[in-house]
Order: sequence, then C-alpha cells, then structure tokens
Amino acid sequence: MFEFMEYNIAPWGGEIPVYFFLIGTAAMVFVYAAAPAVFGNVFGGVARSMEPFQRLGMVISLVLLAVCGPLLIMDLGQPGRFLYPIIHFHWTSPLSWGSLFLPLFGVCILGFLYGLLRNQAGLMRLTGILGALLALSMPLYTGLDLMVNQARELWSNPTIPLLFVILSISSGTAVVAVVQLVRGQMNAQTVEFLHAFLYLALAVTLALFLAEWVVLMYGSEEQQQAWQIINTRFGLEYWGLTFVVGILAPLAIVATPRLGRNPALLTLAAVLAAVGAYTFRAVFIYAGQLTQIYY
Amino acid sequence: MPVGLQAPPSLGMPGKKRWAMVIDLRRCIGCMACVCADKAEYDVPLGVWRTIVKVKDTGRFPNTKRHFMPRLCNHCDNPPCVRNCPTEATYKHEDGFVLQRYERCIACRTCIAACPYNARHVLPGNRDRVKIGGVVDKCTFCQHRVEEGLLPACVQTCLGRSRIFGDLNDPDSEVSRLVAQHQVVVLKPEKGTAPQVYYIKPERVMTEQVFSAPESYAARSDAEAFYRHNRGSKFFSGVL
Repeated sequence: MFEFMEYNIAPWGGEIPVYFFLIGTAAMVFVYAAAPAVFGNVFGGVARSMEPFQRLGMVISLVLLAVCGPLLIMDLGQPGRFLYPIIHFHWTSPLSWGSLFLPLFGVCILGFLYGLLRNQAGLMRLTGILGALLALSMPLYTGLDLMVNQARELWSNPTIPLLFVILSISSGTAVVAVVQLVRGQMNAQTVEFLHAFLYLALAVTLALFLAEWVVLMYGSEEQQQAWQIINTRFGLEYWGLTFVVGILAPLAIVATPRLGRNPALLTLAAVLAAVGAYTFRAVFIYAGQLTQIYY
Repeated sequence: MPVGLQAPPSLGMPGKKRWAMVIDLRRCIGCMACVCADKAEYDVPLGVWRTIVKVKDTGRFPNTKRHFMPRLCNHCDNPPCVRNCPTEATYKHEDGFVLQRYERCIACRTCIAACPYNARHVLPGNRDRVKIGGVVDKCTFCQHRVEEGLLPACVQTCLGRSRIFGDLNDPDSEVSRLVAQHQVVVLKPEKGTAPQVYYIKPERVMTEQVFSAPESYAARSDAEAFYRHNRGSKFFSGVL
C-alpha cells in the first residue's frame, strides 16, 4: 500500500547559519580592532597596524551585533521571552551561556568605544581583554551548541567549536581587509598582519575539512548517512563553495608569496574564505539535522 | 552520571515510581488508534504528532511484509533535551516523566535538535480551541491521567494490547514482567539516553538509522519537498 513517515521537522532554518556567521565575524572584527590595546607590544608591535581601524572596527562589530541579536530573537517561537535563558539560567545548556555572553560582549564594545573616544587607555585595555575573551566565546558557544547534541553525530564532534572559531577568523579578516582596502589603508604592516591570520585560519580549516572527511567516511552509520546527504544534497556548497572556493583558492593565493602580499589579492582571498566560512557552517547545520528526519 | 536534570533517574530507586512503556510489536496491527487517541486527548494540530506509527514495507511480491513501529517520547533517564534546554522549560519529573513547562519555553528548538527519537514538535501559534501555541510540545506519557490512576490514552485505546504501561520499579507490574521475560530492545541505546520505551521483537528496518530511511518514491519525495519548502527560510513560517 504505502510507506510513510511523519516528519517532525528539522528545527533550525536559515537564520541560524546566518547568525553563526555574523556573530563569528563580529567577534573577530572586535579582536582585530582591540588588538593594538590588547596585544600592542606583542610580536614587535605588529598589532599596532590596526590602530586606524579601531574606531570603525568597533562600530562594525556593534552593528553586526545589533543585527545578530534581533535575528536570533525573531527566530524564537516566543520572542517576548528572549531574556528567559538568563533569568532561568541552565548551566548545562550552551545556549544559556551564549545568551549571557552576548549582551556582555556588547557592553565591552561600548566600553571600548567610550575609552577610545575619551582616550582612556586603561578602560580600553580592560574592555579589550574581556571583550576578546567574550569574542572567543561567541563562535565557541555556537559550536558547542551543536557539539553537545550527541544524537546528531555530524555535530557531536569536539572539532566543531574549534572549526567555528577558525571560520570566524576567516570572515573577520575579510571584513577588515575589505574596509582597509576601500579606505586605502592596506599598508605593508597591515597586509603582513592580516596575511598571517588568514594563512593560519585557512591552513587549519583545510586540516579540519580533511579530518571531517575521514571521520565521516570511516564513521558510524549515521555519519555515513550524513556524508551521503552532504554529497547528494549539498555537493555544490560543500565541494564547490566550501572546498574549492572557500579553502583551496584562497589558500593558493596566500601561500604564494608574491600573490599573498598583494593587498587586492589578499582581500580577494579573505572574501573567498568568508564565503567558505558561511557555506561550511550552513552545510553542517542543515545536513546534521536531516539524519534526524530519516529515523 | 546524568547532569543538568531537575530530578535524578528513578529507575531502580526504592520507594519511587519509574513509569515505562513496553510495545509488543507482535501485537501491533497498524490501526493508528493510538495516534488518533493522542490527537483527541490533546487536540494535537495537523502536521505534528506526539506519537506516530511508522510503516514500512519490505521484500518483493510474493515475499513481502509490512512492519509497524509505534514511536513516542522515550522519557529517557538521561534525556539530552533536558540537559540542553536553556530555560529549564523541559524537565525531568521524579517519577520518570520528561515534561514541558509551556509558560517557560522560548521555542528555540534546541530540544528538538537534541532528541534522538524525533519525538518533539512546535505547536502552531494560532490555534482556535487550545490556546497553548508557539512552544515546543511532546508526549507526556499522559501524566495527568497516570496521576489519576488511569492509563495513557494511547495505551487505553490500543486494540491489540500492543502498548503496555506501568511502573518498572514494581516487580509485579506487567511491564516489569515483560522486560524480564523477553529480549526487549530500546532505540539507539548507544546514545546513552537510557530510554524507557521497550520494544519486543522490532525489525532492524525500524531500529537502525541507515535501514530505517524511507525507501519508497512517495516518502522520499515528500521528505525532499518538505525540505525544499523550508530550506533557506524560517522553518516554522508556515506553522507558527
């Protein structure tokens, strides 16, 4: 007669990868903008190349945060209860921690901006250090939010939080590179600074991509099913946009000394890496849920 | 040791109840009376379910078989949905029920993502009679009935007595006897959730991840259409 299944549906839609991408970008833009105050004298003062970017970087980070917060709230079925994760804090839920850290991160951005405007180095350093730690927690908590679901084997993987942190470095670098290129402030020191971060981020992303590949091919039946779903439904996004466009192409640019130091090409590589940073997350979030509706 | 629960697991704890269900698949005839009873008991809207009966055909004519698999919340002793809920809206009752506080749920759907058994859903926001909406809902093992000494609605109505409900901590209960005497199976035991719905003689096409995927064109195209419809937009724009 028939075979049928009722699909109690995959819960997280388009807003979630967009949110994960934007909050990771906001976090890394903050780290770049706060770098002169936090890491000013480290590595021969190379972070001071970000001084012209400080004020604009903080504003960009704040704007991204102002987009992220409402996006996440509107995604809730009960937007009016958006403070409940803080009011009814549950320590075993990464979402509770994220809800707590998100406004604190916003406070640090505002504090840093205030210190910048009033020229208060002490306040900038304090909010810079605290803000950088909270910035780190943003992609970390989004990755943990997936990792703790032991029932979703594509997500339940300790590399996911690390991957999300690395991807946020790529997307944050893209924003800084584009802004500095447009403003004509991509001097040699800035290029060197951004190049080092992007090169590192892309190399680690490639390593994690290959690690995921092996894990999924040699994995449990749910991981093999997830691998099949990725290849059939998300082949273009995963192999095309993530692997070729988002990892291999920018890595080839930054790994070639003459190309990688060219400001325009470095910016192009960063933008391509940001595209990969979005699609990598999106494929994992969507595909990780589809095994659920097949059971 | 489970963490993040509001009550410790009661299985095997003297003086406590541990409500559980045994589903004898030899007796299930796929009449869907349990699904209907559940829909009626809770006014469950179209498109979502607290309990389902999964149907799967195997083999080729003339050697064919139709398999039925009632599914519901497994009221796990180590429930990942409870651990992941950011507001403690989902909680563990001391008698083993995994329940939902509607007034606290923000419908972030973390619990849906966490559930290995696909047992949770979001209620529509615009309901006519029952005003609970825009929150996550699930099977409660009919706690309101059980506490009054009644059986859950799906058990009460089961034609073949396929669903059997009782206290697993009571050695004289029917569920205790069935669990002791039969080779019972729980779903996805490797996830460490300690589920408390026990199946007698399930087929692997119903219990294993890869084999349980839809095979028929209709089921697969339904899944794909559903996914296409919801992908890239708000998943619940048509529901909430």
